[in-house]
Amino acid sequence: MRTDASVPPSLATALETLRARGLQMRRGSDAPAPERARPSVQTGHSILDAALGTGGWPRGAMTLIDGPAGNGGTTLTLGALAACQAAGGLTAWLDLDGTFDPAVAARLEVSLDWLLVVRPRDPVEAIELAAWLARSGLIDVLVLDLGLRAAPERRALDRFGALLARSATSAALLLAPGGRAVAGAVAGVRVAVRRTAWLAVGSDIVGQRVVASVERHRWSLAGRTAELDLWFGEGRRIDPLLPALAEPRAVEVISVEQPALRVVGA
Amino acid sequence: MTRLLALVWPDLRVPEADATPFGPMLDALDDLSPRVEAVDVGVALVDVTGLGPTWGTERRVAARAVMLVRSVAPIPVRCGIGDNRWLATLAARLARVERPGAPAALHALPAGVAASRDALRELPLSLLPADLATRQRFRLFGLTVMGQLADLPRSAVGAQFGPAGERLQALARGHDPRPLVPRRRPEGVAAAATFETPLDGIGSVGLILRRLAAELCDRLRGRHLAPGRAVLTLTLEDGPALRVAQPFPKPALEPDWIARLLLSRLEADARLRSGPDDEEPRVVSVRLAFDRLTDPASRQLPAFEARAGRWEELRWSLERIRHRFGEGRLWQVVVDRPNASLPEDQSRLVDIGQ
Repeated sequence: MRTDASVPPSLATALETLRARGLQMRRGSDAPAPERARPSVQTGHSILDAALGTGGWPRGAMTLIDGPAGNGGTTLTLGALAACQAAGGLTAWLDLDGTFDPAVAARLEVSLDWLLVVRPRDPVEAIELAAWLARSGLIDVLVLDLGLRAAPERRALDRFGALLARSATSAALLLAPGGRAVAGAVAGVRVAVRRTAWLAVGSDIVGQRVVASVERHRWSLAGRTAELDLWFGEGRRIDPLLPALAEPRAVEVISVEQPALRVVGA
Repeated sequence: MTRLLALVWPDLRVPEADATPFGPMLDALDDLSPRVEAVDVGVALVDVTGLGPTWGTERRVAARAVMLVRSVAPIPVRCGIGDNRWLATLAARLARVERPGAPAALHALPAGVAASRDALRELPLSLLPADLATRQRFRLFGLTVMGQLADLPRSAVGAQFGPAGERLQALARGHDPRPLVPRRRPEGVAAAATFETPLDGIGSVGLILRRLAAELCDRLRGRHLAPGRAVLTLTLEDGPALRVAQPFPKPALEPDWIARLLLSRLEADARLRSGPDDEEPRVVSVRLAFDRLTDPASRQLPAFEARAGRWEELRWSLERIRHRFGEGRLWQVVVDRPNASLPEDQSRLVDIGQ
């Protein structure tokens, strides 16, 4: 004779239980699914790390940096390279259009000693080379800057994504607007970057204020945003001269005597 | 008493000469004596002390040396025998062929300090390795032959010509304290495997390559040496042997890295050589040799900077990528002008393979 306890709950009861547990129940288990810690590499911006939820760009996945040209995608990526190198990592930049500028990278504190620059012939070769580098297991952050070229076909990106998932490399994609639809579907994380203001000292533009929105995240909640001040090289240099930069967003004009930081509408 | 044989090849001493045979000639001289020094391109010193009972007179020993080097390249050679480096090379300079067209010339200075000094007595001072100013001063003092310089008190020569003058006087007396420094013969280790049933395709030698590399690395690890290059020879069932000489990015004792690198190189070569319809070659035997052995003590950076070790490992992966994708793909930024006024002039991209 079956007891009440052994009677299976109705579907409605089971769904109610799942809702109460935040839809985190796994099949075959009463316990909620444990939060899987995703290894990551820091982006160099603690606010963005917090917004991403995983503490940075996830390892073993692609992150698509989405946004119009000149909105800080490259600067954001170079900052991530610098942060990764500061933590003892090795980095690579796949430069399809040959636009990588070592001087800019050095100004953003990227250590050129631990940076490999790869110049593929075409997007297909770029994906192949990226796969080789990821498979070596020695590169921590790999930036795939496809520039204005068309994105590789979906199958190649899928294959690369699958390979990347078995490695500890974090790949960042910088793409022309046309390829973002394809790459966005494959990327584990998509971050949209949009400029909201310029940062100026006197009449010199020294940086830009951007809003980075996490539009897609396979391992954490999407939808969070982070407001970042991305300094150009010169801005970084004068940064220590500005005494009140601890709260730059709180002020429009820091000082009238000192070089003053102004936030100019984008 | 030490006796040295100097061999000088005038044809190799000219600036535009092809010095390729010089190395093999030194190797050939190893059969005569274990102590051979390459003084300069076209000049070698051989320690022939005590070779008399084996080869006979000094003339016969020199003839033997000439025979050995001419078996490599029939280039005219001048031989000199003396008690030390200076006397042997001076004797080689004094050697004159006995008949026109003779392949070699020999001059031997007598053994013993007194006899050597007597032999030098009438030789001109211009034979000494002195600079122009010193030679002019010798002339001003009326010194023309070595005997005159040798007979002067050492303190007087030192007062007039300084330490350099004292050294020249010692040479004029037949003294040269510099020892012969035998060259270290390029070392190598090799291992081979032969298959009763030939292996199908180049890709199938991967495992055996790994085993041979591990065996050689173990042998070298005991001697605290690391190879700088591998030479791989595959004997094929029907076709000429495949030979690949692959320098390493850095000397290393890592069988996996070495085997993978060699395999990628073999595959790259095979891609270049064979057409799409060609059959896979059948491999009968594999021979792997390591050379350019060096002391790995100089590669200690990874002990202090862990990332350097990973970068070194990455260099091996990059070498394989070069084999697969070709040149011009992999670059590194080199900051060679950090003080240049324009930031873009401070650094440049350098092809990692170059």
